[in-house]
Amino acid sequence: MSDLSASADPIVSARGLSKSFGRKQILHGLDFDIPAGRIYGLIGHNGAGKTTTLNAMLGLTSYEGTIRVLGEDPFARRAKLMENVAFISDVASLPRFLRVRELFALLTNIHPNFSPEKARQFLEGTDIRPEMKIKTLSKGMIAQLHLAVVMAIDAKLLVLDEPTLGLDITYRKRFYRRLLEDYMTEERTLIITTHQVDEIEFMLSDIMFIRDGELILHMQMETVSEKFSQLVTNEPEAQDKARAMNPVYEETRFGQTVFIFDGQDREKLEPLGRVSTPTMSDLFVALMQRPTANPETAR
Amino acid sequence: MKAFFALVHREFIEHRGAFLIAPLVLVGVVFTLALLAFSVDRLDSRMTGQLSFVVPTWVFEAGFAGLAGAWLSYLGFVLFFYCADGFAADKRNNAMLFWKSMPVSDLKVLLSKLAAALTILPGAVFGVALVSILIMFGVAYVTAMIAGLGNAALLGTIAGIYVQMALVFLVVMVCGLLWYLPYMALVGAMGSAVGRWAIPLALLLPTVISALEWVTLGGMHPFATRTWAYLTYRSTMPGSTNHLDKVFEGQESFNATLFITDFLQKFDWLQVGIGAVFALVVIYLASEYRRRSAAN
Repeated sequence: MSDLSASADPIVSARGLSKSFGRKQILHGLDFDIPAGRIYGLIGHNGAGKTTTLNAMLGLTSYEGTIRVLGEDPFARRAKLMENVAFISDVASLPRFLRVRELFALLTNIHPNFSPEKARQFLEGTDIRPEMKIKTLSKGMIAQLHLAVVMAIDAKLLVLDEPTLGLDITYRKRFYRRLLEDYMTEERTLIITTHQVDEIEFMLSDIMFIRDGELILHMQMETVSEKFSQLVTNEPEAQDKARAMNPVYEETRFGQTVFIFDGQDREKLEPLGRVSTPTMSDLFVALMQRPTANPETAR
Repeated sequence: MKAFFALVHREFIEHRGAFLIAPLVLVGVVFTLALLAFSVDRLDSRMTGQLSFVVPTWVFEAGFAGLAGAWLSYLGFVLFFYCADGFAADKRNNAMLFWKSMPVSDLKVLLSKLAAALTILPGAVFGVALVSILIMFGVAYVTAMIAGLGNAALLGTIAGIYVQMALVFLVVMVCGLLWYLPYMALVGAMGSAVGRWAIPLALLLPTVISALEWVTLGGMHPFATRTWAYLTYRSTMPGSTNHLDKVFEGQESFNATLFITDFLQKFDWLQVGIGAVFALVVIYLASEYRRRSAAN
């Protein structure tokens, strides 16, 4: 785990964040800080607690423990907080009765940091026109419109919960590129969840893995490549030696055995086969089966 | 305030079907039917014209009052359904998540819905109603002209009646909205919590409360309680009709200023104040429920 600047106030700070629905505890006392200017990937299985964590950050649900977003209690001060926070949830939520131009006019009056010009720019190259009613747009077009809306909000924190669900690969790639090139600045922080982890891996600065309401991994991407190694080998002798080095995960694919190691010296692994850094999806699969990846207190 | 007005405006956009488009269609249909009826001689334009000339004041005043009353009934009907359904409409298509992403509090959103129910939505119906009555007056005047009885004096009389009656219509509508404000707020608050179930609940709730008083404090039957008596009083708009009675008995000619002054003086303003406080309390409670309930 690498160090982050401790001098700047974190954008999000959670201590003992817990949430229960009835008798079922969803979040088990999460502790984490998210500094400014980072791009976080929050990754977990369905039902792991990702959306509940995001909802707690966004003031959409009550919780136990403490969470501060931009210094505010999100549940008590959601309306004020939303001046500097933008989010898209995993479901299409734009009001269907509006036309696109009516939506922009409404947002111009409601949101002090919304720019209709920017929104129109983000829609250039799409088939969406101002006179169109939102209810007549396809699922993909609604997602495009919503993304244009949130990117046109000058927010300090942008939360995207499965933002490209239902979009084709061309638009997904274009969206992530524009997000990086046109939206991200040093002052902005992005938290993103998606099941298409490999598509966003290139842009992430940090990852958080959440499993059954517990944070099992929270570190910078550079640290991930230093800490975790992947070994691919098909020699039975090399495989035995690799097993003796306590891999965190082992899988056989197309006749080859893949091992993932946590904190193992790469020089010791290289004689056994091909060594590389595991992809996020491989690491995710590996760590989701372990009791914990970094049991020490997360940042 | 800019955000608040924008929220009120979006209520109009969302519900203009019931408050503007449907009334306009209704007016269009009735006007077309009237033209058709005259054109195929189902209605005798000469006789209609003569009738409106023989007793012009009564015909126009009664016609205005009748049509305005019908429009007020329509308004009451659609406002009831608006409060029951419109206050929960943000949940539709997961749109609650979008509204929660906006820098406006739940209280402000619900107050904007109530403000829309008091201003722009009835205002739209009022506007269409005035247009429909204007058309009716126009048709009546044209028939008078066809009967050879149209003249400048009749036109002036009609215009005077129209303006006076429009003023009366406006005052009665505004007083009605203020009088029924607590009902609108209660149905809206229940709608925020239970959606369209607010419609049967709005009818059931008074009965349950009255029955509760009967069970706990006694009485002849569940509908002979103080609660029921109060709700009965609170369900009927007060106001003096002394002047109108004299007009219809032919003792006085209609005078809008006299009617409005008398009406406003005898209106129960204390109950309006109590109702406004009640409305604010239930809307606040509904906003807290909305703030705490899951958005998705």
